[in-house]
Amino acid sequence: MIVELEASAEAGPRIWAIGGGKGGVGKSVVTANLAVAVARTGARVALVDADLGGANLHTLMGLPSPKRNLSDFISRRVPSLAEVMSPTFIDTLWLVSGAKAMLETANPNYSQKGKLLRHIGALDVDHVFLDLGAGTAFNVLDFFLAARRGILVVVPEATSVENAYFFIKAAYFRKLKRAQPRQQVKAAIEAVMKSDDRRFVRTPRDLMARVMTVDAEAGAALMEAASTFSPSIIVNRVDRSEQSRLGAEIGSACHDYFGIHLQSLGVLPNDALVRRSVEERRPAVELYPQSPFAGAVRAAADAFVTRPERVLP
Amino acid sequence: MSRARHEDWQLLELEPGADLAAANRALRYRRSLYQPGALATYNLLEDDERVRMLERIDEAYRRITGCEPPPDRSSQPAEAAAETPAKAPSGPPPDPSLEPGAYLRHQRLARGLSLEQLSAVTKIRSRLLAQLEVENVAELPAAVFVRGHVLQIARALGVDDANRLAAHYLAKVKLD
Repeated sequence: MIVELEASAEAGPRIWAIGGGKGGVGKSVVTANLAVAVARTGARVALVDADLGGANLHTLMGLPSPKRNLSDFISRRVPSLAEVMSPTFIDTLWLVSGAKAMLETANPNYSQKGKLLRHIGALDVDHVFLDLGAGTAFNVLDFFLAARRGILVVVPEATSVENAYFFIKAAYFRKLKRAQPRQQVKAAIEAVMKSDDRRFVRTPRDLMARVMTVDAEAGAALMEAASTFSPSIIVNRVDRSEQSRLGAEIGSACHDYFGIHLQSLGVLPNDALVRRSVEERRPAVELYPQSPFAGAVRAAADAFVTRPERVLP
Repeated sequence: MSRARHEDWQLLELEPGADLAAANRALRYRRSLYQPGALATYNLLEDDERVRMLERIDEAYRRITGCEPPPDRSSQPAEAAAETPAKAPSGPPPDPSLEPGAYLRHQRLARGLSLEQLSAVTKIRSRLLAQLEVENVAELPAAVFVRGHVLQIARALGVDDANRLAAHYLAKVKLD
């Protein structure tokens, strides 16, 4: 179902899902600023707070807590997602505020999730930015995989890098699990792991290569699943020049280890004005357009709008 | 270069047919990526997987270039002989608001640290540390990085009010 949505999304908005495993790396701040920067180019943008446990995008955007939010839609108090979109300080930017911490909405069931994704895909906008929660819950992974492009936010700290790999691994294996035909792929993987070949299998990429020799069709299905898993990465809070290579380096390691292409979307400098903008409840790209952070956000946003072909696999 | 397989070129992220200089650069990059403690692969691999990955990189290099890979210097402890011992400075420290770079140098030497030792703590290349100390604007990176470096150095040296020192530094070198 989710895969279908991805395929049919050509006609609808481009959906960008921002996740990253670890809390506190600035996912929401980065998402809000990217959405504002894209909206400022004249594109129509919906910013959806899909952090179903701890939503606070409205605060970052300086908007009052809206009367209606995502939980009204999920619990069917309002029939369409468009009805919970609030206007913002930009004509072409709307906010779908997140659900207040409610356990039942933090864990939507399969059909609720599908409905939400269908409605997001049907919004009458050019771009949708989905701010996902922290962690690697299936909800987060499914939204991440359903998007046109999943974007990971990391900071140059060991804990963040570690969590980014947890996240990539989890999303990657969830993606591979859906590889069709499922039984055949499963049987081929088991055959590899039972044979003497397993000592050659040290990385997921090795596994795919070995499955290919056991069952070409199953191997091709795995390769196909892996090749369509192509997340992007943004390195946030960069202080030193050598840290600006981190995105490309993680990309190289992902290529070696998973056999996937991870694209580096840019580097956002550690900028004291960002903290101040959060205190002032206005995205830094609006409040401090001349700041190094704002410049870097606009450069990254440029990749979404004017060079969309560059962010496609 | 005929023994190289498709995977070898892929592993070094090289276009088939790349020259030796490109292969050497790729080797250095790949080795740095899989060094123990490398941030970009933090906890991605087990220790034995990491060693195996480094071996694979060397094997790919061998097949591509037909040459034995040069010794991996980055994996060995820094050569103590190459280090110049730090001499304690004489005289009072320079005024940090007028000569922030010289002030950092004074603070470093007062603690008996060589550039290499400070580099090991701050992870800033010793060459760049030297450029920062002499305020060589032409060789410095963008202001945001300079600020980060100065903060990092000041904190490593235990300088009071690192933020103010960084502000003095940026005001002095006037990077945009």
